[in-house]
Amino acid sequence: MNRDGPRGGRGLSRNAGSDVKAAYLFIAPAIIGFTVFVVYPLIRSFYLALTKYNGLTDPVFVGLANFRRLFTVDPAFWPSLRATGYLVVLYVPLSLAIGLALAMFCNQRFAGVRIVRTLAYLPVVLPAVATITLWKFILNPQVGLLNTILEKLHLPTSNWLQSPAMSMPSIVIVMLWGVGGTMIIFLAALQAVPTELYEAARVDGAGPSSVFFRITLPMISPIMLLQVILQTTAALQTFNQPKILTNGGPGFSTSVLMLSIYNNGFSNLGRVPQLGYASAQVWVLFILIIAVIALTAKFSSLWTYSDNTPD
Amino acid sequence: MKRIIGTTLACAGLLTATACGGSDSGGDADGPVTVTVMTWESPETNAAIKKALEGFKDDKITVQLIDTPSGGYGDKLASLTQAKKLPDLFWCGNDTEQQYTSQGLLVDWSKRIADGDGDFKADKFVASAMENWKTADGQMGGLPSLMNTYGVWYNVDAFKAAGIPEPKAGWTWDDMYAAAGKLANKGGAKYGLVADQLTSADAPFTMSLYSVSAGGAPFTDNVNHPTKAEADDKYTEGVTKLAEAIKSGAVAPPGYDASNVPALFSGGKVPMMFGGQWLAAGFQTDKPKIKYGFAPFPQVTTPTTLYDSVGICTPQYTANEDSTYKVLQYLNTKVWDAVLPAAPVAPPAYTPAQESYFSALTKSDQTTVVDTVKADLAAEKTVGVRFTTQWSSQVGDLTTAMYQPILSGKKPVSDLQAYVGKINDLIKSQG
Repeated sequence: MNRDGPRGGRGLSRNAGSDVKAAYLFIAPAIIGFTVFVVYPLIRSFYLALTKYNGLTDPVFVGLANFRRLFTVDPAFWPSLRATGYLVVLYVPLSLAIGLALAMFCNQRFAGVRIVRTLAYLPVVLPAVATITLWKFILNPQVGLLNTILEKLHLPTSNWLQSPAMSMPSIVIVMLWGVGGTMIIFLAALQAVPTELYEAARVDGAGPSSVFFRITLPMISPIMLLQVILQTTAALQTFNQPKILTNGGPGFSTSVLMLSIYNNGFSNLGRVPQLGYASAQVWVLFILIIAVIALTAKFSSLWTYSDNTPD
Repeated sequence: MKRIIGTTLACAGLLTATACGGSDSGGDADGPVTVTVMTWESPETNAAIKKALEGFKDDKITVQLIDTPSGGYGDKLASLTQAKKLPDLFWCGNDTEQQYTSQGLLVDWSKRIADGDGDFKADKFVASAMENWKTADGQMGGLPSLMNTYGVWYNVDAFKAAGIPEPKAGWTWDDMYAAAGKLANKGGAKYGLVADQLTSADAPFTMSLYSVSAGGAPFTDNVNHPTKAEADDKYTEGVTKLAEAIKSGAVAPPGYDASNVPALFSGGKVPMMFGGQWLAAGFQTDKPKIKYGFAPFPQVTTPTTLYDSVGICTPQYTANEDSTYKVLQYLNTKVWDAVLPAAPVAPPAYTPAQESYFSALTKSDQTTVVDTVKADLAAEKTVGVRFTTQWSSQVGDLTTAMYQPILSGKKPVSDLQAYVGKINDLIKSQG
């Protein structure tokens, strides 16, 4: 036994060694990918944020000049930050509320529920650029479908995307068209809630609102936290809708941060790009996203339910 | 392991070297050469250019028109520039030429065109185009190819129905605003005039049309190498009149989506719009359901128009400058004769090639376009459409923040001086 032990041990050690190598080999693609496509660009973009760089000639180190220009000189920066904040405040609660409502509706048992679920999710699988372009025609104040219908119904019309006050709400309406993605995650969460909890509540005589606030909502709160983080991050990085629908206008009313970054970094019409300056904007956005996620996570214990309580 | 890493690095190096090798044109000074060409034209116009290029005969040169969709040309250009993969000849605006030349990215053709042989010489081009394609130190990173002229497109039937005389050379800004007031909210039209050039990021430059025509100063002394911006009394008067017209609902405000205005005009939903002569080519094909005309810009006392031209640029890393220049010469002198009859987009900057453009328009009965384009090309007073400087995008942001709110009535006209002050600060800060 004594002789077998060490021998067995040496054998185990050799196997463990090759297992470790195999493990490294298997995770190597992910690590290389992460390093090449995340870590390096992150470091490089931080360096570029401290330079004057147009992508054509060598970067020139300028210290914090890009950040100074961003916060003190650039007339577009604060409005773009405001537009981004406005979009997050409008979009995130609405997408969560509508997504959850749709999920609860689709969680019922009735004839055709599968068709309803498919229809609700369909906009998510349609090409985004095509549907956004279609929305642009629908929202045209002069010949658009929406105003035509409103006029026929003798209801007030709007300038929608061309009105400084209505442009951002219009963009949010278009974004909510894709709320099926939020719905499908909520639907999965709802279906994971144990049915015995509902049965017990029914036996105790709980009404629908009590069931929703005391059982459904607490049980799906971890998924709600995930959704808050996902939707907020997505909203902070919104680009397609404002780019296609308004290109940031009228004025700066829909000039969200991502659009501003794009315009500075990859300026159209053959103008020399400002990649250094755009990198500084990227870092502001990055810090903003980290801060929002950190705050959400910090206060999540106040409203999320966890059954991982210590024995 | 070392061998694997070594091989990988060698492959990566090889890939990098081939990827960054500049233009795809092959060949050396004596061997066969392929000259690549990229345009921003529609598929139909590209097909006509391709066919015309088949007439280029040189045993050692093959011309290849790169198939590229016309949309998003600016993005395409930006990515090709950064990848150092620009074609040998690519369509470019005056602002691109100025900015890229200042970065040392383009071949300087100034000496060749000045000493040109035969008819392909500087004095055969529209003089203002040649002047505006020169950088401060006299370089020319490309040659102008087509002239953009601008004016006012109008719906003849809408003018008749409203009992307003049709716009014609010599009409005034007051005439235009009065007409716009009468045309607004009639026949499905919301505004009487949609003038993106007067309300967009380039609006401050267009307003120079008013001040210069009235004997005042333009918004800037030079769009390529500005030393100052100003808004004198005449300029302020022009802005005040426009702001009043917007307030009354006669003119579309800043933020009005200009992207489908030509379609709305064709459908009779916009009775009058500012626009370029290139719309004539589309109208010739699409046949709008309205009868239309094209008039010169209104004036105060002197005819004044916008100056703008587009051209063809060549990157420094073109494989063979002589071959590229031969194709450039062919494009400017021969190709337009073949292309413009079917698609009369613009008058060539090379004056001997202009005939085909005007005869095509005359044949298709677009006589008002012919008259206005000719008047524009001959105009004594012209103003640039925008700064061509590297910091021009910052001017656009200032315009959105400070100029457009004045037009919308959210800020008083007196704030114009603060806006101009900011532009001058920017000019000074850029040396």
